[in-house]
Amino acid sequence: MAHTVNRYKADIREFHFVLFEQFKIQELFGKAPFDDWSEEVAVAIIDEVHRFGTEVLGPLNAVGDEQGCRLENGQVLTPDGFKEAWQKMYEAGFKSLSISPEFGGQGAPTGLSAITTELSSGPNTAFEMYPGLTIGAAELIEAFGTEEQREHYCGRMFGGTWGGTMCLTEAQAGSDVGEASTTAVKNADGSYAIKGSKIFISGGDQDLTENIIHMVLARTPGAPKGTKGLSLFIVPKHRTDAEGNVTGPNDVSVSAIEHKMGINGSSTCQLAFGDNDACIGYLLGTEETRGMRQMFQMMNYARVGVGLQGLAVASTAYLNALEYAKERKQGPSVRNFKSADAPRVPIIEHPDVRRMLLDMKARVEGIRALIAKGASHLDRANSLKHTGGSESEISYHEGQLELMTPLIKAYSSDQAFRICETAIQVHGGAGYTRDFPVEQYCRDSKIFSIYEGTNHIQALDLVARKLNLGGGQYAMALLQDIGKFVEKHQASEVFRKSIGKLSEAHGAVSSTAMQFMTWFQAGEMERVPLVANRFLKMMSEMVIGWLLLDAAMIACERQEALDQEHPDWSFYEGKKHAARYFALNVLPEVVASAETIKLGDRSPLDIPDAAFATV
Amino acid sequence: MKILVAIKRVADPDNANKVKPTADKVDTTGLEWKPNPFDEYALETALRLTENGKNNKVRQGEVVVVTIGNKDTETQLRSALATGADRAIRVEAEDTDLDGRLVAAALKSVVDAEKPDLVLLGKQVVDGDSNSVGQMLAQLLDYPMATFAATIQEEADGRLLVGREVDGGVLSLRLTTPAIITVDLRVVAPTSVYSKHTDAGFKYSDGVRFAALPAIMKAKKKPLDVKALADLAPGKTNGSSYFRFEAPPARAAGVKVPDVATLVNKLATEAKAL
Ligand SMILES: Cc1cc2nc3c(=O)[nH]c(=O)nc-3n(C[C@H](O)[C@H](O)[C@H](O)COP(=O)(O)OP(=O)(O)OC[C@H]3O[C@@H](n4cnc5c(N)ncnc54)[C@H](O)[C@@H]3O)c2cc1C
Repeated sequence: MAHTVNRYKADIREFHFVLFEQFKIQELFGKAPFDDWSEEVAVAIIDEVHRFGTEVLGPLNAVGDEQGCRLENGQVLTPDGFKEAWQKMYEAGFKSLSISPEFGGQGAPTGLSAITTELSSGPNTAFEMYPGLTIGAAELIEAFGTEEQREHYCGRMFGGTWGGTMCLTEAQAGSDVGEASTTAVKNADGSYAIKGSKIFISGGDQDLTENIIHMVLARTPGAPKGTKGLSLFIVPKHRTDAEGNVTGPNDVSVSAIEHKMGINGSSTCQLAFGDNDACIGYLLGTEETRGMRQMFQMMNYARVGVGLQGLAVASTAYLNALEYAKERKQGPSVRNFKSADAPRVPIIEHPDVRRMLLDMKARVEGIRALIAKGASHLDRANSLKHTGGSESEISYHEGQLELMTPLIKAYSSDQAFRICETAIQVHGGAGYTRDFPVEQYCRDSKIFSIYEGTNHIQALDLVARKLNLGGGQYAMALLQDIGKFVEKHQASEVFRKSIGKLSEAHGAVSSTAMQFMTWFQAGEMERVPLVANRFLKMMSEMVIGWLLLDAAMIACERQEALDQEHPDWSFYEGKKHAARYFALNVLPEVVASAETIKLGDRSPLDIPDAAFATV
Repeated sequence: MKILVAIKRVADPDNANKVKPTADKVDTTGLEWKPNPFDEYALETALRLTENGKNNKVRQGEVVVVTIGNKDTETQLRSALATGADRAIRVEAEDTDLDGRLVAAALKSVVDAEKPDLVLLGKQVVDGDSNSVGQMLAQLLDYPMATFAATIQEEADGRLLVGREVDGGVLSLRLTTPAIITVDLRVVAPTSVYSKHTDAGFKYSDGVRFAALPAIMKAKKKPLDVKALADLAPGKTNGSSYFRFEAPPARAAGVKVPDVATLVNKLATEAKAL
């Protein structure tokens, strides 16, 4: 029997710190477009979403994992309890937060909705994919659909009556989306006949909603090859009348569902469109071959969403490991290691366990700050647009978000798997069993580095596109921001050494970026992908090292007003230790990575295929 | 039906380890606060009694929440308003200036002014656990009272059939309004409370409902009145004082027994529980 108790843990104080003390979201409250928002409301929302996560979603996490989804008579059945949870969630308006007021939402700032996403993904990451993708699909229609399309689909999808999916992947078109061969041929009435098959479609079928709206990338006759020739179509599972009543099937069928390593509660479907030549789709908007551009605009948010999934799961893995380490007794303290009858101590007293815990803490909190920074740029750009901010300010914030997006997606998801692995290690053998949640977290988290563009695709996006965006001005602005921080704090008594390491990492990232330029100029293009992932990691760690130190400076200031008995004193002390640990244990690796890249090793390129193995 | 619900905030019981008892008071700096769970059940009960469970967007009555506390306690009132209460009243006071008698006296004045059909309270507050305010208030008002309610059914004529859990069974009381009820944990089970608008057999979600996120924003605009304690309980002061607080003794470590037989044996011989 799977556990039906909640195992999700969150440190709510952390959210308040990130939101109000580090990124100061309250500066945007009370003016357009966030007029109705206040700190008090934000706090109340965080509490209520947390309660929903721990009371409703958390208890279904292991159930979803063990039961998985089933395909019966062409219909996918989700695990026990998912349908009730879905209904509860929409009844209570839990998915309206980030939605625009036009469709009954609250138009919340992204900084806040990012936290509520973490608080929903952490308890049950598989479940959260259904509403997550539904909102993504509806936002596509909201952004690019005709007035009629917006009216017909958005309200029903945002309200949870209908579900939604993103259908890009085909057997031959994974990372290479442009190879998609699903076709769309215009009918006399202006609709399109859709034919083809998609694989790996999350939520491709489920029993949670009356209807499912698939956003399908397909090619019209005569359209160019590659991504340029793709258009996006709205393809419902069931046909409906103008009032939204289901009138009959639309020739979309589930050929199979995948049996997976993790996120078993989320159905991953192989879908066949138009097997009987009776599948109708509607062009999103009015122009063909816009599909990839439309999809990309949404994909940026979706990528931040995957970063949040990674953070959410890693964070609860860390907090579960912490709890276990305080309770599990094993061995004497290292100070008494010679005495056989020394008292056995909780494993949190062992140096190596403390190292693992602090390593997880620093990474989790660093990634949270990285995502909060991205969200803050988006909110600030949005606020400036509504309050007559200057072009250059708006462009600065938008550029920083663009630059952060591949870091958020790839660094968070890579680290999430490793953090979960460390959490298992802290548990010892217990962590390898299903009695504890960390093994599921580890399995669930692996997908994050693969979907929504593999992490190598993110790294290529960073080095080939984002670094040079706006003539490289956004990357320069980032380096300048960090440079200024170093200058301001290099005399800090407590953090001199840490700031020094940040400064060295800053130098290492700058010089590696310059190195790329020379390779590009010398036509040695193939060297770049060889080191792109490593560079993404360097850059992420530089930014995170900076953000953690920034938090530590805030912590030092706030601590002055508190005595040691105050619970916040320990909270701030934790911020300082996380920053110092990261600066002195992780930032030196950034410098080492730059050295490694400078070696210019080509062996992965030079080794003949036949030399990899004799089989 | 018009219902008055009394609410008190308590230090989050999950963070009780942060409470540092000192000589004659509990140091509350930096604590997180939550509504008393039994008061949350009282609010849920009040909402169920003023709606048709099937169509709970339409209110069938009025719920007024009241607390006695400082400005910070408005957080708990706002949260009650977000959950569905219609109005709120805060009586300005510090916790340390209050005891059960004073609270009951102040609540009596609120009841006199508001004239609700029903006053709902939690059976006790999980900080002091004195279990007294409801009873004292009933005495002051001379109202019929049912304590430890586990079920409440509103009958066609407006009387309330209350099931009280007592040792060995359920004691049923029929109350004529205006009345006072203090509620126990099971009152928030799916079929515990029925207003006369709700179909028999309707099943609520177990527990206390969630505040809809849009409602959290709208709660800011619901009315919240502030009153002075001295106006409601003139001439009355806190009659209790505390001598000393002590942390409970730390629990001794448990033992693992190899099998059920040993367990039964230990329970019988060592714990003398069998
Ligand atoms: C559980 C799950 C859910 C999913 N949900 C959805 C969904 O809802 N909608 C949807 O459309 N898709 C979905 N996918 C598909 C997912 O997006 C793809 O799996 C992903 O894009 C990778 O494609 P692929 O599996 O074909 O791998 P491949 O593209 O074959 O990649 C294999 C490896 O080769 C590398 N590689 C590929 N091309 C290049 C290149 N040009 N340069 C360098 N390296 C390269 C990759 O980085 C990877 O390491 C899902 C997949 C899974 C497993």
